[in-house]
Amino acid sequence: MILRTDHVAGGVAIAAGLLVWAASGDLPFGRLSMPGAGMLPKLCCSLMILLGLVLIVRAGDSAPFSTIEWGDLRHAVPVVVLTAVAVALYTTLGFIITFSLLMFGLLAIERRNLIAAAAYSVGVSVGTDVLFSIVLKSPLEAGLLGF
Amino acid sequence: VGSTFDSLMLGFSVALQPGVLWYAFLGCVVGTLVGVLPGIGPLSGISILLPVTFGLDATKAIVMLAGIYYGSQYGGSTTSILMRIPGEASSVMTCIDGYAMAKKGRAGSALCIAAVGSWIAGTFGVLMLTVIAPPLAAFALKFGPPEYTALLVLGLIFLAYMSSTSLPRTLLMAAVGILLGTIGTDMTGHFRYSFDISELGDGIGIVPVAVGLFGLGEILSTPSASVTGQVLTPKMRELLPTREEWRQSAMPIARGSILGFLIGLTPGSAHIISSFLSYAVERRFSKHPEEFGHGAVAGVAGPESANNAASTGAFVPMLALGLPTGPITAVLMAALMIHGIPPGPTLVSDHPDVFWGFVASMYVGNVMLLALNLPLVGIFVNVLRIPYSYLYPLVIMFCIIGVYTVNNSVVDVWIMLIMGVLGYVLRKFSLDPAPLVLGLVISPTFELSLRQSLIMSNGDYLIFFQRPIALVLMVIAATLLTLSGISLLRKRADWRAKLAEAEAGEPSA
Repeated sequence: MILRTDHVAGGVAIAAGLLVWAASGDLPFGRLSMPGAGMLPKLCCSLMILLGLVLIVRAGDSAPFSTIEWGDLRHAVPVVVLTAVAVALYTTLGFIITFSLLMFGLLAIERRNLIAAAAYSVGVSVGTDVLFSIVLKSPLEAGLLGF
Repeated sequence: VGSTFDSLMLGFSVALQPGVLWYAFLGCVVGTLVGVLPGIGPLSGISILLPVTFGLDATKAIVMLAGIYYGSQYGGSTTSILMRIPGEASSVMTCIDGYAMAKKGRAGSALCIAAVGSWIAGTFGVLMLTVIAPPLAAFALKFGPPEYTALLVLGLIFLAYMSSTSLPRTLLMAAVGILLGTIGTDMTGHFRYSFDISELGDGIGIVPVAVGLFGLGEILSTPSASVTGQVLTPKMRELLPTREEWRQSAMPIARGSILGFLIGLTPGSAHIISSFLSYAVERRFSKHPEEFGHGAVAGVAGPESANNAASTGAFVPMLALGLPTGPITAVLMAALMIHGIPPGPTLVSDHPDVFWGFVASMYVGNVMLLALNLPLVGIFVNVLRIPYSYLYPLVIMFCIIGVYTVNNSVVDVWIMLIMGVLGYVLRKFSLDPAPLVLGLVISPTFELSLRQSLIMSNGDYLIFFQRPIALVLMVIAATLLTLSGISLLRKRADWRAKLAEAEAGEPSA
C-alpha cells in the first residue's frame, strides 16, 4: 500500500481528536436541555475523528506522501528557530537589540553581505522603534538596557 | 430611498473629515503595497496593522483596515501583469492575459484597464452595499438563537461547498477552528484547555492565529531563492488603452462587477473564486476564445473587476448579519469588536456614523485607488525590486510586533509561531487554513446560540426545523451538503478542482 497524504492527515486528525477528548475528561457534557462546557469540544472531537476516518478511507485521491516537496525546510527551520529565540529574548533584551539580531541572523543565513546586513538590521530596527514610539505613540518593548 | 440618501450624506460628512480621509488614504496605500508584494496577502497586512488602530476611533480604524483589503485587490494586478507573479491570490487569473499583454508592449494598457475595471466594480459594489445592507440588517433583527445557529451552520456548509479543497478537508479545518475557539472560560465559568496559562483564560485571539497561519506560514513556505522575476516597466505614455481595448473591456467589466458582487455575498474565498469564474465566463462569451492566454483584454478586465466587486460584496453579510464570510472579514469584525462595536443587525441603527461613514469612505477610497494605481505605478514597481531576502525578515518583524502589541503578551507571539508552523504543514498537505480561522471566529457565537437554542427548546433539537427562517436556512444547508456529497462520490473534476489548480499557481490558458 502506498502511504498517501490523506492517510497521514486523517491519522493526525484522529489522534488529535482522541487526545483532546481525553483532555476534556473533567468538562461536563450536560444534557440536551442544559448543555455543559464539554458539549461543543466533544462534538468537535467526534467530528475530527469522523472526518479523519473519511480522509483515510478516501486517501486514494490524494498524492503519495513521498511526493511532498520538503526542500524548503532548509529555509523554514532556521527561520522558525531564529524567530523562537527572538520571541524568548524579546522582553529581556528589548525590541531594538532582539530584532537587530533576528534580522541580521536571517540575512546571514541568506548569505547576504554581512556589513550591509548589519547596517540594514540596525537601521530598520531603530527606525521602526522611532516610528512606533514617536509617530504612532505606541512604544515597543524596552529591555534590560533601557531600549 | 430618501432615508438611505440622507444616511449616505451623514456618511460622507464623516468620511470627508480630514482625519478619516487620511486613514482611508493610508489604508489604500498600504493595501496597494500589500497587493503588489508577493508573499504578503491582505489578511496578514490587516492583521499586522490591527494593533496600530487601537489608538484610533472605530470609524478611522475600520476605514483604514478595509482600505487595505480593497486596496490589495487593486495592487495585486500590478505584479500579475508585470511579472506574471500574482501579488495576491485573487490575481492569479490576471497573470495569464495581463502578462501576455505586457509582453506585447501593452503593459500600461493592461494596468489601466485593470485599475479602471477595479474602480467601476468597487464603486458598483459599494452602491449595492448601500442599498442591500440596511434592509438585510433590519430583517436579521428577527433572528433568535436558533436562526443564528442555522445561519452559522449554513455559512460553514457553504464554505465547504465553495471550497476548492474537498468537503471533508474543509469541514475538518472548520472543526479544528471551532475547537480552538472553545479554549478559555465558557459561559458557565469553566476553564477549558487553559493548562494553567492565565493568558489562555480569555481564549486564543484571532490575530495570532491569522498572522501565524497566513503571514508566517507563507514566509516559511517561500524560500527566497524561489522569488525571482523580471519586472517589465511600463512607460507613462503607454498607460492609455486604445478605443478598441476600451470597447473590448466594457462588457467584461460590467459582467465581472455583477458576478463578483454576488459571489462576494457567499462564504468562502469569494475574491479568488469570482476572478476564476469571471475568466471562465469571459472566455465562454468571447467571439475569439482562442485569444485567451495570448493577451485578451477581457481576460484582464473581467477577473480584476470581479475580485474587487467580491471584496466589497463580502462586507454585506459582515455588516448586516455579523457573519464573516472569510478570514479577512473575520479579522475586520474583530477590529470592530475590539473598539466595542459589534457588527450585525444593530450596527446600522446603533452606530449609523460608523456604518455610513465606512460605506461613504469606500466611495472615496475607490477614487483614491484609481488615482494611486495609475500615475504611481512606477513607484510601486520599484518596491518589487527590493530583494525578497531583505523583505521577509521585515515582514516577520511586523508580524511579531503586530501580534505582541494586541495584548502585550509573549504567549500570543508563541501561538503565532506555532500557527506559522501549522500553516506551513497544512500547505504541504493541501489543507486550506481559511476555514480554521473562520471556525475560530464563529466559535463563541455558535456555541452561545446553540446552547441557548437547546435551553429554549428544553433539549428538543427540532427547534431548528420548527421556526420558518431557521428551517429555510437548514434546508439550504442540507441541499448544499447533499450536492457536495454527490460531487465527492462522483469524483468528478468540476470548477472547484480547476480553482484548486489555479490557486496552486498553475493557471492554464
